[in-house]
Amino acid sequence: MLKIDNKADIFHYRALLFILCFSLSSLLGRYFYLQVIEHERHFSKSQVNSVKALTTYAQRGLIMDRHGEILVDNYPTYILTATPYELKDRDEEFAKLSSIINVSAEELNRKYKKFYRGRFLPTTIAKNLTFQEISQIEEMRLEFPGIQYSRSDERIYSPILNDAHFLGYLREVGRDTIPKLDKKLLYRAGELIGWQGIEKEYEKELRFSKGIDYIEVDTYGREILRLNDSNIPAFPGENLSLTIDANLQRYCRNILEGKKGSVLVSNVDTGEILSMVSAPSYDLSIYRGETLDSEWNNLLKNKDNPLLNRSIAGLYPAGSKLKLITVINLIEKSLVDPSDSLMCTGVYIPPGSTNEFRCWNENGHGLVDLNKAIAQSCNIYFYETVQLINLEDWTDTAKEFGFNESTKIDLPNEKNGLIPDKDFYTRNYGRWGWSERGVLLNLTLGQGDILITPIQALRFINHIASRGETPQLRLNISKEISYYDKIVYTEKAWNHIWDGMFDVVNADQGSGWRARLKDPDIKLLGKTSTAENPHGEPHAWFIGFFEVEGTKYSIVVMIENGGGGGAVASPIAGDIVSYYINSFKSLAKN
Amino acid sequence: MAFINKFMLSGAKDSLFRLFFIITGLITFSLITLYSISDNPLSFNSSFYRQFIFLIFSSIVFIIVQNIQMKTVHDNSTIIFIGTVTLCIVPFFLAPVEYTYRWIDLGFFYIQPSEYLKCATVIVIAKYLSNHQLEVKDNSIVLIPSALTLLSALIVLNQPDLGTAVIICAPLLPMFLWAGVSNFMIFLMIAPVITVLAASNIISFTIWAIIMLIFFLIFEASILTKSILYFANIFTGLLTPFLWNNLAEYQKQRILTFLNPDLDPMGSAYHIIQSITAIGSGGLFGKGWGLGSQTQLKFLPVQESDFILSVIAEELGFFGIFCVMILCFLLIKTLLDIAFRSSDYFASLVIVGLASILLSHIFINSAMTIGLMPVKGLPIPFISAGGSFLLSCFIMIGLVVSFSKN
Repeated sequence: MLKIDNKADIFHYRALLFILCFSLSSLLGRYFYLQVIEHERHFSKSQVNSVKALTTYAQRGLIMDRHGEILVDNYPTYILTATPYELKDRDEEFAKLSSIINVSAEELNRKYKKFYRGRFLPTTIAKNLTFQEISQIEEMRLEFPGIQYSRSDERIYSPILNDAHFLGYLREVGRDTIPKLDKKLLYRAGELIGWQGIEKEYEKELRFSKGIDYIEVDTYGREILRLNDSNIPAFPGENLSLTIDANLQRYCRNILEGKKGSVLVSNVDTGEILSMVSAPSYDLSIYRGETLDSEWNNLLKNKDNPLLNRSIAGLYPAGSKLKLITVINLIEKSLVDPSDSLMCTGVYIPPGSTNEFRCWNENGHGLVDLNKAIAQSCNIYFYETVQLINLEDWTDTAKEFGFNESTKIDLPNEKNGLIPDKDFYTRNYGRWGWSERGVLLNLTLGQGDILITPIQALRFINHIASRGETPQLRLNISKEISYYDKIVYTEKAWNHIWDGMFDVVNADQGSGWRARLKDPDIKLLGKTSTAENPHGEPHAWFIGFFEVEGTKYSIVVMIENGGGGGAVASPIAGDIVSYYINSFKSLAKN
Repeated sequence: MAFINKFMLSGAKDSLFRLFFIITGLITFSLITLYSISDNPLSFNSSFYRQFIFLIFSSIVFIIVQNIQMKTVHDNSTIIFIGTVTLCIVPFFLAPVEYTYRWIDLGFFYIQPSEYLKCATVIVIAKYLSNHQLEVKDNSIVLIPSALTLLSALIVLNQPDLGTAVIICAPLLPMFLWAGVSNFMIFLMIAPVITVLAASNIISFTIWAIIMLIFFLIFEASILTKSILYFANIFTGLLTPFLWNNLAEYQKQRILTFLNPDLDPMGSAYHIIQSITAIGSGGLFGKGWGLGSQTQLKFLPVQESDFILSVIAEELGFFGIFCVMILCFLLIKTLLDIAFRSSDYFASLVIVGLASILLSHIFINSAMTIGLMPVKGLPIPFISAGGSFLLSCFIMIGLVVSFSKN
């Protein structure tokens, strides 16, 4: 068992003792060498000079459109920093500074407190200084101990696209946010970080890598010697090419001038977004820090909410485009014969109920088959037929098309929308507060509790245009293509939907005839929706797709409180598509 | 003088008494230094205050551990080892903390299981060696302990934590030596490492080749075995620079980063420059407590743990460092004394292993502050701030006290 005599040998004991003595005495020897023999040298170095690590910066990556037009550029400015323990008299120095630069001493003090990181670290106190101001400060160097300046770039936007929400903006990093950021990128308080949009999504790629210059300085902070050998160079960030077509984006933006809403155009075959407009908008350069608080408050309090990117974060009822979900269920399960007709008298009374449900056309559509029901968006046809479908089947189909989930577009803060299911209704209305038949009457019209974002509508139309398999939507042109989960339906179902959508625009009675193209060779297929909502006029929607030179493109137009989808959204969609096709032709001519 | 004599040459009871004084001395240095570098030592967040709390907690754990019977530890050593290894694998399945898989978040406290794997590995190897005492001259006895050590080291290396992986390997050879494994075998285990290290320079390699030749001539083994082993070593040495040079720059960089993942992106050279300036400027008696300019102006990085010796060197001078080193020497020597005097083979092996762990911590940490080793975040026992490490040091001493009672 355990008790075995220890056989440790005196030789082994001495060997280990020797190792112990040897290692500790060699350490002591080195300490002695540094502290006693080389003491003078190190002591004078510690008294007079100190090696300072100066952070150097490089350019943030540029953002360009698909043709290489620069959308977001940098322009050089200077920032002023103060190192707390080197300041002799803070108030006096700040007062003197404020007479040179156009910033009040209070403002300097406010920034100083906001970005303070510790007694020995430089704190950003002013930004956007000109070269003249910097030269003046440099001339009076000795009056400003502890004040340094360094170059720092600000963002500048292409004049006409300075209000594109998706670009996003930069913000100063505050002390409290630093712990939440990626440590590897070495943020410091007062530096700029992508805070919204593309700037945030691709922060890692766009951000430069910092460098370090080691310099020896004297007690006044004056440079004595540059230790170039150990410097680490700074590298600029990667440039980013977007899928956006700047010309189209400009056109769409102008067309929405004075309206509220969103326009999206995408390439169905690649998932590239060619245009993403949200109106109303605001000038992105307000984030540069020169904006007055009052202007800011106006923007925040504006009830039209210009800060919201409606394309991905605006939630709206879907309207009758979701009738197509009903169509798929009807055809796939062979619940109706598409050629059978129903009579639309303008009113529908569900069995066992006295409530009247009305068609938008109060005179009724007369005899309606499936194709006509889609083309003229007849409510009665869908009221009748949706009664043949299970609630669960209907919501599952809607979810399959990507409603109720993020489209995974490369932008932050996308909203998921809502497709209410059984759980939702029971939770919100109680077990007996709703009936499956009743809610289906709402759902088939895309009304009720349904909420979608315009970009989800774009994904929906892309699924239809590609007959089930479409790439993920994206804004970065070099992002790898990946596909949404494939939706498998019979060709028959797709054919009926396509035929119906063809008639929406191209048949005489089609609800979207105003979107019809002048060019007879290219046909636009679409669906209008007029989404009723409690906030006023209905939202006008148009979704559609067309094919030019073998490539399919899709478009979504949503005008908030605009009125009828046919009357308001369709002509806008028609104009945008015509413009895009013309630009194609003029490109071909050149 | 009589007191010193009594202090240095005393029996088992006195050894424990001595241990108590040495550790109290080291902790005094620690608290004095942490008080000096804390801006507001009595606030809850200061490293001084936190260390103080950890000390109380660790002392309680120490009292518990030193009451554990050696037999319990011996009989359960395999379970202890397997348990600790499992704990070390757990972080790989959790969210990484600061890009590594070293810690388990207990909500109020992070524990670093690899701290305890060091002890567990020592205990399991000691058990194996003591159970196979009779075969100790058989060369195959080194296989299982080496494999267990490598296993532990590889897990920790993947966390990634090179420092602790090195520490886990450190006790192996001293324990072999202590157990009486043949000197030839021990030499064979060291030789390839030195060969690879010496291979970078033609002169050092030639000298090493000659030393190796002498050793091989002295040891007893068949000529064939000896010459095969000798030339295998030489060949490895000759091949090393060739292989290294054939790697592309980015591959070299990748290997270096793998070996030293903590490599500070802001340049560790800067840290060493600051540390050496701080140490050198301290002089014989230092700039005075709380008066070190490098320290107080925070030129010195991680001064509460990795570079705490530099603070002592700057503020208390060579004199302070000398005292610390003497205390460290006495600590390890006392442990060796206890091990040597211990009547139990298992206990004595464990104590030697623990002493090796503590010595490697002391050596690597000090060598780093004076630029003899690359920056590697290893703390120095009883002096550096840090709860998990302090606790593991107290557990080690607790084991020593418990084992020496036999």
